[in-house]
Amino acid sequence: MSKKSMWSVKFSTASLVLIPAAVGINYIGKLFAGVLKLPLWLDSIGTMLASMLAGPVIGALSGAINNIIYGLTMDPISFVYAVTSIAIGITIGILAYKGLIKNILSAVLCGIIAAFVAAVVSTPINIAFWGGQTGNIWGDGLFAILVAKKFPLWIASFLDELVVDIPDKAATLIVSYIIFKGLPKSLTNLYDNKNEIEQL
Amino acid sequence: MKSLSLYQERDSIIHEIEPINKLLYILTTILIMIIVPSIKCAVLCMIISLMLLLKANVIKKVLPIINFSFIILISIIIIQGLFNINNKTVLFNIGKIKFYKEGMMYSALIVIRVINILCAFALLVLTTKPSDLIEDLVRRGLSPKIGYVLSSVLQIIPQMTSTMGTIMDAQRSRGLETEGKLINRIKAFFPLIGPVVMNSLIATRERAMALEIRAFSSKNKKTFLNETKSTKLDSSLKYIFIAAVILSIIWRAAIWTK
Repeated sequence: MSKKSMWSVKFSTASLVLIPAAVGINYIGKLFAGVLKLPLWLDSIGTMLASMLAGPVIGALSGAINNIIYGLTMDPISFVYAVTSIAIGITIGILAYKGLIKNILSAVLCGIIAAFVAAVVSTPINIAFWGGQTGNIWGDGLFAILVAKKFPLWIASFLDELVVDIPDKAATLIVSYIIFKGLPKSLTNLYDNKNEIEQL
Repeated sequence: MKSLSLYQERDSIIHEIEPINKLLYILTTILIMIIVPSIKCAVLCMIISLMLLLKANVIKKVLPIINFSFIILISIIIIQGLFNINNKTVLFNIGKIKFYKEGMMYSALIVIRVINILCAFALLVLTTKPSDLIEDLVRRGLSPKIGYVLSSVLQIIPQMTSTMGTIMDAQRSRGLETEGKLINRIKAFFPLIGPVVMNSLIATRERAMALEIRAFSSKNKKTFLNETKSTKLDSSLKYIFIAAVILSIIWRAAIWTK
């Protein structure tokens, strides 16, 4: 049996209904983090789970739709950051497909990779929109120091985003990984497009 | 159950306009701001948006939307006012802290631009039901499957939020600590999110079967529940948007050739 490419997506009904669930999980993750007053957002657990379950394409779609719905129902600014969510979905999808997320330590490393990708994608948006800031106190504090020391704007802005993203994405991926490991096989098989399985 | 939408039910001409035209309005506003990057033009666009919001009778609801970005806007004014690279002339000072004119001008441009975009978006989200927007997009060629996914998100989130309350109460009654030290709160995250995730993933399986039974992946052409009511205004609006963009390009070209 040949291994299918990770980019091959069957837009099966199962993987399509995974997207709303993923968006819902993102939303709930953020709410719980808020209720528990955790110092992180944890708002991409669903996107990462969808990437791990059904590959980069579904992950990217979950990310995009997540931000579109957020934009429509809460904060219109989140439309622009759809690109970042797509990038996170694709990155985690590829890393998971290559089998690189296999224990907590590797989850932390992969989270850092995802944070780098997210920061690279977000920085141009931050510069165009906010003059380089992110709205996070820690990141913006660093930004202010770097700008005061005459660092180039894009370096200051990139680091501003990165210091916030690294802990957040690493923690999010750890959470997603632990949840993913706990899922029953009968559920994960549903989205698996690596080998032939019976379809709904 | 709290519905997930910023839509405000009002009786106004803005509400009647096709959702696609409101999307085009946002696009036009952003394009014009890119083509003509001056404060005057941004203020003009903002005044137009505000007048339309006033006409739609939703102007009061714009404030909460801007509030989302309020803190970052304030911090931009402070940081740029203090540290912008081009800072030379002192505008005013509070104690020993000096605010510079160049940085303040730069941050003013950013603030106006952001508020401008927010107002344009507000015009869409406050006067359009999300489900109407999705239906309009599907009618114009968005895949019905994606359309389904979008509208089902709108239903799932309120459902999950109410499940969340139940699970929180259940875990607390078993003695889960959700307050206190940071480490306790971190530990509490898993027993809370775990059941919600499991629940929703298992529900997807059932939903997938229910959809398949109703011929969700059938290739036949889909029909719509609601009829369209396209007015003359709708068709003429598109030309107005195109004209506005062309005008701003001409304006920009005129500046260049001078």
